[in-house]
Amino acid sequence: MKNKIKLGIAAIAVSTLGLAGCAQTSEAIVIGSQAYYSNEIVAEAYAQALEEAGYTVERNFSLGQRDVYVPAILEGEVDLFPEYTGNLLQYFDPSATQTEAQAVYAALAAALPEGLTALALSPASDQDSYNVTQEFASANNLISIADLANLGSVTLGGAPELAERPYGPSGLLSVYGVTVDFVATGDTTVESLVAGEVDMANVYSADPRINQLGLVTLSDPEGLFLASNLVPIASAALDQGAIDAINAVSLAMSADELVAMNVRSVEEELSAAEIAGDWLRSEGLID
Amino acid sequence: MFEIPEFWGWLTSPENWEGRYGIPSLLAEHLVLTLAAIFAAGLIAVPLGIVIGHFNRGTALVVLLGSASRAVPTMGLLFALVMLLGVQQRELAVVIALVAIAFSPILAGSYAGIGAIEKHIPDAAKAQGLTTWQLLRIVEIPLALPAIIGGLRVAWIQVVSTVVLAPLVGLSGLGFGIIQGLALRNFDQVVASALMIVVVTVLGDQLLGFAQKTQAFRLGHLSGGNSK
Repeated sequence: MKNKIKLGIAAIAVSTLGLAGCAQTSEAIVIGSQAYYSNEIVAEAYAQALEEAGYTVERNFSLGQRDVYVPAILEGEVDLFPEYTGNLLQYFDPSATQTEAQAVYAALAAALPEGLTALALSPASDQDSYNVTQEFASANNLISIADLANLGSVTLGGAPELAERPYGPSGLLSVYGVTVDFVATGDTTVESLVAGEVDMANVYSADPRINQLGLVTLSDPEGLFLASNLVPIASAALDQGAIDAINAVSLAMSADELVAMNVRSVEEELSAAEIAGDWLRSEGLID
Repeated sequence: MFEIPEFWGWLTSPENWEGRYGIPSLLAEHLVLTLAAIFAAGLIAVPLGIVIGHFNRGTALVVLLGSASRAVPTMGLLFALVMLLGVQQRELAVVIALVAIAFSPILAGSYAGIGAIEKHIPDAAKAQGLTTWQLLRIVEIPLALPAIIGGLRVAWIQVVSTVVLAPLVGLSGLGFGIIQGLALRNFDQVVASALMIVVVTVLGDQLLGFAQKTQAFRLGHLSGGNSK
C-alpha cells in the first residue's frame, strides 16, 4: 500500500515536471551561441529583436564548439543559433567545393539535416583570411594572395587543422601557385605573425586585432576561401513573426559593423547585451 | 574473427610518418619537452628534498608546494607564461609550466626517501666517523634512491600527459594529432594519437619502475637480504 502511494506521488511529480517542461519550450524561444564573444553578441541581437517583437526568449549561450551544440540543436533543445555558412557547410559536408557566398548558402540549405532551416543570409561575414604585417606587405608589394607567387618561400602560421584544409598549403599551391612552409602556431597565431616567426597568418576576418595591429588582409581574387557569412539556423519551433524579426537583424548587419562590435567587446569590455542593444537602437530595430 | 581497428590505417599510412608534423618528429618533441621539464625540476627538487629530509627542516614547505601545485590551472599558466615571455620563448614557457607540475612529486619523493631512513642508520654512520657529505653520498642517498625514482615516476606520468597541450601555444608533440584530428573530425587520427600517448606514458613508467625495483633489490642484497 505504502509503495503504491509512493509510486503515485512519483508519477504525479514526474508528470508535473513534464508539463512544466512542455509549457516552457512551447512559449520561450531558446537561443544558443558558441563560446565565442562575437557569436554571443549576434545571439544577443537576435534575442533583443525577438523580445521587441513580443516573444519570450531563453538565452542558452556559450555552448562550446560545433561538436557539442549541433547535437543539442538536432534534439530540439535549442531553437535558434547564429552560425557561419562556410564553416557549418564544412561540418555537414566536408567534401563541399563551393566557396562563393551565395553558392555556399545554397549548398548549406541542402546539406542541413531535416528540421533545421537556414534563415536569411547576412552580408556580415567572419571567415578565414590570410594576413601579413604592414612592413611585409610594403616590402614585397603585396595586395593579393597571388602576389606571393613572386616570393621564394613563405611561412604560413595557423591552427593545426589548417595543414589539411582545402584552403591551406595544398590550395595555395593549386589555386595561386604559392608554395608555403606551414607552421602550426595554435592559439598564438597573431602573436607569431607580429613577432616575425611566420610571414603570413590565418586570422578570422572579424578579428579586431587585424585593425588594432594594422595587419594587411590579402585579397582572394580566385575565391580560395570558403565564404562564411552569418546565418541564423532555426528549428521548426519559430513562427513567421519570429523569422521576420531575425531576418531584419541579419540583413541590417554589415561586415564592418560586426567588426566594430567585436572591437567594442575587446577594447571597452562591454557585455554582449549592451553592445547588441546599442547596435539595434542605432539601426532602429529596437527602441 | 579479429578485425583490424580503423585507426590502424591512419597509424600505418606512410604520409603520417614524414615531415615536420609526422609521427617521429611529434614523438621526439613530446619526449624532449617532457624530459627537459623533469630534468629541470629534478635539478632543483631532488637536492632540496634531500636537504629537507636530512635536516628534517622545512617539511611544511613540501606540504605547501604539494597542495599549491595541484591548485594551479596548467592551461592558464601555459598561456600566461607564453604571453609574458613572448612567443619566441614559447619552449621556455612550456617547460616552466611543466616544471610547476613536476616539482612537487619529485620533491616529495626525495624528502620522503631520506626522511624514512631509520635514525640508527645515520647515527651509526656518524659514529664511524663519516662526514655529513659522506653520510649523504654513501648512506642516505642510495637508501633513498627507490623513493626518489618513485617521485620521478609520478612526475613523468603527469608531465607526459600534460605536454598534450603544447600545440595550443604553437609547439607540437603527440597532442598535435588530437587537436588537429578533433578540428578535422578525423577520429582515427585522434584515437591513434591518444593510444600513442598512452603507450609512451606506460613504457616510461615501466622503465622507471624497473630502475626503482633494481635499486631496491640491490639495497636488499647489500644488507644481506634483511632489508624490509
